[in-house]
Amino acid sequence: MMALDTLTGAVVMVVSSVIMGIGAYGVASSRSLFRQVLSIEVIFNGLLLLVLSLLSFNAIAATYFGILIISSVAAEIIVVVAIIVAYLRSTGSLSSDELEEERA
Amino acid sequence: MHMYTMLPFFTIALGVASIAAAYYVVKIKDLVYASVMLDVLASIIASMLALIGYGIVAAFQVLIYVGAAVMFIIITISMIGARGRETKEPFLGFITGTFLSIAIIIIVMGGGLFKLYARPGYVSPSQAAAGLLSHYFPVIVLIIIAQAATIIEAISISKRGEKK
Repeated sequence: MMALDTLTGAVVMVVSSVIMGIGAYGVASSRSLFRQVLSIEVIFNGLLLLVLSLLSFNAIAATYFGILIISSVAAEIIVVVAIIVAYLRSTGSLSSDELEEERA
Repeated sequence: MHMYTMLPFFTIALGVASIAAAYYVVKIKDLVYASVMLDVLASIIASMLALIGYGIVAAFQVLIYVGAAVMFIIITISMIGARGRETKEPFLGFITGTFLSIAIIIIVMGGGLFKLYARPGYVSPSQAAAGLLSHYFPVIVLIIIAQAATIIEAISISKRGEKK
């Protein structure tokens, strides 16, 4: 049983690392604000899986952590999407390059 | 064969599916389909969480994250529409993603952190609710206030950019 748990833990942690890497690829490679938000959400999903598997020795604390983090991220998404919509309405663009140019 | 012995195989199958979904999120050109794939990815992650013993967190992931937050993204992108050409720097992304993945795998596997995983004990919904209300009540109040403020903030930000 112990070996099965170790194998499961190793698989979950490697999968979450790969998912976070794919999310980082999306953030660094794309210049579209919406694509970057989607990629950050991919990183969040990988991170949630990694942290909960690391906290498995204390199931109750991990459950509280998961519930609170998911609630916070749901709120964060709404604000970020609202900011992008406001930016799109004022400039007509969704590119982060133009955001940098405007700031300069 | 006992179902428990099949756990690593189910985890591997779901892991492969989740990696494929994550790949499609960053690769599909249409942003609406990309956000739908994010919904699929979050659902697969929820099933993995349920499989490794976090049933309540999986339910929250499906109800709040998949059902509300990602649906909000899908509806927003559908209403706005993907505009403009999307520029890409695949080499920079490849270097960043590979470096991050390898660094985490080295820390987790090299440091032996994967041995920390032990199937978590059963946490009943009533036990979780009682613990949240008794130990984390101030945190819950803060989250409720933050979420209410967030919604007001989101509405006011969206209204600000409106052309008159």
